[in-house]
Amino acid sequence: MTITQFNIASASWFRPELALTAGILLLFLLDVLVRKQSRYRVAVLTVAALACVGVAAALLAFQPVESRAMFNGMIASDPFATFWKWLFLGAAALTVLIAARSDEFPSPRIGVFYALLLSVVLGMFLMATSLDLLMLYLAIEMVSLPSYAIAGYKPGDRRAAEASLKYVIYGGVASGIMLFGLSYIYGLVGSTNLTALGVRLESLAAPASAGGQLGLRVALMVAVIFVLCGIGYKIAAVPWHMWCPDVYEGAPTPFVAFLSVGPKAAGFALAVRVFYSFLASGGGPEGFARGLADVPWPAVVGVLSAVTMTLGNLSALHQNNLKRLLAYSSISHAGYALMGLAAASQLGVQSVMIYMLVYLVMNLGAFLAVIAIAQATGSETIADCNGLSRRHPLLAVTFAVFLFSLTGLPPLAGFVGKWYLFVAVLSHYAGDGGAWYVTLAVIAALNTAISLYYYVRIIRAMFIEAPAGELVVRPRVSYQIMLGTFSAALLLFGVWWNPLIEWTQASLTFLTRG
Amino acid sequence: MFSRLLLIPLLPLLGAAYLMLAGQRHTRSVVQTIAILAVFASCVISLDAFFVGLPAVVHEGGISELVYTWFAAGSVEVDLALRMDSLSGLMCLVVTSIGTLIHFYSIGYMAHDEDYARFFAYMNLFCGAMLLLVLGDTLPVLFIGWEGVGLSSYLLIGFWYKEHANASAGRKAFITNRIGDFGFLIGMFLLFRATGSLDIPVILGAAQDGSALSAPLWLGQSVAFWAGVFLFLGAAGKSAQIPLYVWLPDAMAGPTPVSALIHAATMVTAGVYLVARMSAVYLLAPAALAIVALVGALTALFAALIGFAQNDFKRVLAYSTVSQLGFMFAGVGTANFAGGIFHLFTHAFFKAGLFLCAGSVMHAMSGLGDITKMGGLGKRLPWTTRVFQICWLSICGVPIFSGFFSKDALLGGAFGTEAYGHGLAWVGPLVGVILLVAALGTAFYMSRLYFLVFSGPCRADEQTQHHIHESPVSMVFPLVVLAAGALFAGFAGVPPALRELFGKHGESTLAVWLEPAVGAPLAVAHRTEWIVMGISTALALVGIGFGYFFYGGGYRAPAHAFARKLPRLVALVRDKFRVDEIYDAILVRPLQALCRITFLVVDRVLVDKILVGIWAFVADVGGRACRFIQAGDVQRYLAVFAIGLAALVWVAARPAAPKEIQVVVTGRHAKVTLVDDEARSGNLQYRFDFDGDGVPDREGKTASASWIYGGPARYTVAITIEDARWHTRRVVERDVEVRP
Repeated sequence: MTITQFNIASASWFRPELALTAGILLLFLLDVLVRKQSRYRVAVLTVAALACVGVAAALLAFQPVESRAMFNGMIASDPFATFWKWLFLGAAALTVLIAARSDEFPSPRIGVFYALLLSVVLGMFLMATSLDLLMLYLAIEMVSLPSYAIAGYKPGDRRAAEASLKYVIYGGVASGIMLFGLSYIYGLVGSTNLTALGVRLESLAAPASAGGQLGLRVALMVAVIFVLCGIGYKIAAVPWHMWCPDVYEGAPTPFVAFLSVGPKAAGFALAVRVFYSFLASGGGPEGFARGLADVPWPAVVGVLSAVTMTLGNLSALHQNNLKRLLAYSSISHAGYALMGLAAASQLGVQSVMIYMLVYLVMNLGAFLAVIAIAQATGSETIADCNGLSRRHPLLAVTFAVFLFSLTGLPPLAGFVGKWYLFVAVLSHYAGDGGAWYVTLAVIAALNTAISLYYYVRIIRAMFIEAPAGELVVRPRVSYQIMLGTFSAALLLFGVWWNPLIEWTQASLTFLTRG
Repeated sequence: MFSRLLLIPLLPLLGAAYLMLAGQRHTRSVVQTIAILAVFASCVISLDAFFVGLPAVVHEGGISELVYTWFAAGSVEVDLALRMDSLSGLMCLVVTSIGTLIHFYSIGYMAHDEDYARFFAYMNLFCGAMLLLVLGDTLPVLFIGWEGVGLSSYLLIGFWYKEHANASAGRKAFITNRIGDFGFLIGMFLLFRATGSLDIPVILGAAQDGSALSAPLWLGQSVAFWAGVFLFLGAAGKSAQIPLYVWLPDAMAGPTPVSALIHAATMVTAGVYLVARMSAVYLLAPAALAIVALVGALTALFAALIGFAQNDFKRVLAYSTVSQLGFMFAGVGTANFAGGIFHLFTHAFFKAGLFLCAGSVMHAMSGLGDITKMGGLGKRLPWTTRVFQICWLSICGVPIFSGFFSKDALLGGAFGTEAYGHGLAWVGPLVGVILLVAALGTAFYMSRLYFLVFSGPCRADEQTQHHIHESPVSMVFPLVVLAAGALFAGFAGVPPALRELFGKHGESTLAVWLEPAVGAPLAVAHRTEWIVMGISTALALVGIGFGYFFYGGGYRAPAHAFARKLPRLVALVRDKFRVDEIYDAILVRPLQALCRITFLVVDRVLVDKILVGIWAFVADVGGRACRFIQAGDVQRYLAVFAIGLAALVWVAARPAAPKEIQVVVTGRHAKVTLVDDEARSGNLQYRFDFDGDGVPDREGKTASASWIYGGPARYTVAITIEDARWHTRRVVERDVEVRP
């Protein structure tokens, strides 16, 4: 088979991505074609964006199930990738629905936003599937670049401009360092293909003279840590989290909602694919523990996890701006999810998948509530929530459900997600470094308690404080429906989580090297 | 996934959810229609499932439906599984039919209440939870229903929460039930530990198999005994048995339809249902059965005695309920499960009828419940009186009324049981005798109630008398239906001895139906049967006679004379033997004192001052520090980036895992070296085990050690490397061959 034929054959596994690409182009076109003053402009563009997501989803549903590498080993197609693609499409569809009724996207500008949003989704698809260092880097950039543009989307808003600029500078440095790390790996091994990399690294790691290995070890360790930088920046883990609060505060809230779940999830997918499958010795999540350069990576990830959740939560304590508060909260949630990676096991990877799924719903819901509040009051501080339970009980109750779920209280789905992360970590209790894993779990439990404090501050404002004035809060009907649906879903999957387990279990098959 | 059985509890639960959320917006007629339809629909579905599938329900172990697997964790799999067999089917029919009637009755009774929707929401919640309880095929599902009825009972007792007494009655019921629930949970855990499953069929199968549950557990008694005792503690809480009966009389603070439905006909019988459901477990432990029977019999007698001197209409009925529940437990405790369930069945009708009559009377008496102020209502409330008479004769055990048959089944069972071994053979007859005395007492206090309320002149004041009127149709109609039930329900369980008179052989319909679920009915000799019937009829008539002698047509001379002669006894009985006061002195007060001390020491000082204070300070300082770093300029962000990166390299550069053991063997002398870059750092601690016996032979901070073996063989060398900085430990092993 010639390379061309091979690529054409691969395209049948690539249809959702192709649909998204076509959709992006179509949206740019429609943005120009539909008159700026048209009454139906927002509706037409929204329907087009949703249709694009819908077609991609339909094609995804009919995609062949077997695992294979496509385009000469550039991109993978396997159940693991399919799981994340569903998650990304879900996040995209919900974001489109939220943005359609938001005040932050005036109708002349919404078409470009949709197109950029779908570009980010396409980039996330590639992040979850890339099998090559170059592809991986391009995918990350494909997520980042449109994000920079959307962060500064509000015309003439100083905060938006500041957010965008900070995002660009910070992201530029992070991706530069990551690229540096990738070049090191390429220099050490001589290939960019993950499969070749894995095989070569394993043979390099085979016992040789102790002195000769040391240089290789250090080089490889530094390179991997540099690559981790890029991923850590995407998932907003400490110490690469600093961009997060500023960008969240300045960027349009519907996009922030998306940013807090989508790229984060894509970062986790990428991390699992690279470190737990290809570069891990033995080609499975467990191999990560023995893997690369003799560095105990689970311990490194565990330290990152502990520091991330602790700093995220401590910083959230004093926030009065809801978006900044949720930014720090999303940092701490990245820390919780890192626990699953630190566990370095099938169960750990599964727990991350479950957590991201649940987190998608609860965090989007929380941001949606913030949008609804901001639409009524014009600002987004905790004080704006005062007496919300009397002004609009549905909004207050659903917001409380999201916050309790973020805390991880039963019977909400957030509890289930957190529960499996703890199980994954504590299943190492009797093994290597058991005391260490227990410490991590204890730190996470303490962090949950800390997070309860600032989440409850909002709930207290909503249910106990008196309303400041006669302000009518009437969220849009579509928002009310979404709020209700999200909290019902959190309640439902909080008591009936078997479908989550079964789905993630079935999606645990991923392409491994060899 | 779709399950018809699920609809039975689901419809009332949905009704409850809807009424709670949106009930306030609807008019009364909409609210009552939704509530009644929800229960009525599940009644129709129950009837359909029970009678259309009759052979399957009764003979083939019932219809069971797995709705979904709730969760699976390790070896535990908890299913939402429902089963309708003859036992749960019968309970379903009782709950839904009487539930529908009482919902209907509530339209009239609650007509003037402000919180109409809330009332019906709670009632629907109760029905849904109760149906989940009886249909649950796994203990967790049953327990959810169990807690659900407890919750709705609490909510309804304190329905008029603005009065302090009502709220505290609700709390008392809740707390007392929690004590029982604790027992339920322990019993459940014991069964799980012994059988590895929470599914009721699996547990019952294990009980029939015997071995797992017969193993001794504690004090020489088997698992089955302890599980039975703890489950019975739960049952005693829910069904108001000694020593946990105290909440039920206070529960009369709730609206009367609640008392009729929850605290007489259905919820309080859940304990009896539980014991009957777990019958196979109890049959393994005769001693546990004996405890059930004795507690039941004593409760029956004790509560009947208290009933002698109560002056509140509903309180008399409450003690009567406690007493009748004691009868049921005495029944199931003598392994006469069918008999106990039979009495549950008839009692549901006549006791619900009595309570609804009480409601009707109190409705007529402007809310007054004091029977010393009543009298002569017979002519003014014709329908209520007729219904009360039927239910009264039924509970007294007068022949052809339903209570006669079911009480007779219990008495015959007590004298004829063979469930106990030799050592406990005395339990059956003793229980029988106690029950006979209790039956006499029952006839007396119920007659006292009847005569004081309905006969003679009226003792109420003028204004109240002026208002006396028969209740509306919506209240009278359920009364009449329940009276019909009280009259005819007994014919389902006519004993074999009587059936022979009519040329029929074998057991009654009910006993045949219940056989697959609770085992074959007790075979009682016909002679015993006849003697018991004769004695109990005579006792019923004697009790009624005494009642007439003391109270016929109002307080008569003998009643006054008795009270004058033994004032302290009468006062003691009137004060319910002062059990509440005893509990207060030995339990409640010490507990409250303990709570106060704990509050002061733990909460005020330990938690508020020390724990919260210190951590709040740490969190505060940490938070401020983080905010300082996050000041807003990108340079500082990137500095943190770089510092973090360096820190991460430092973390990652911790000692590597040792890979290889080098061994040099010279004769019997072996030198073992671990190839390890980090050995020079001196951070690691090595332990060498040369002969594979698990005991370290050499220890130190250097990565090599020597050893002299005893003789030629293959040995396993194990090196344990401990890193004190990270609390990690690794073991590396290698085989060593020592040649001769």
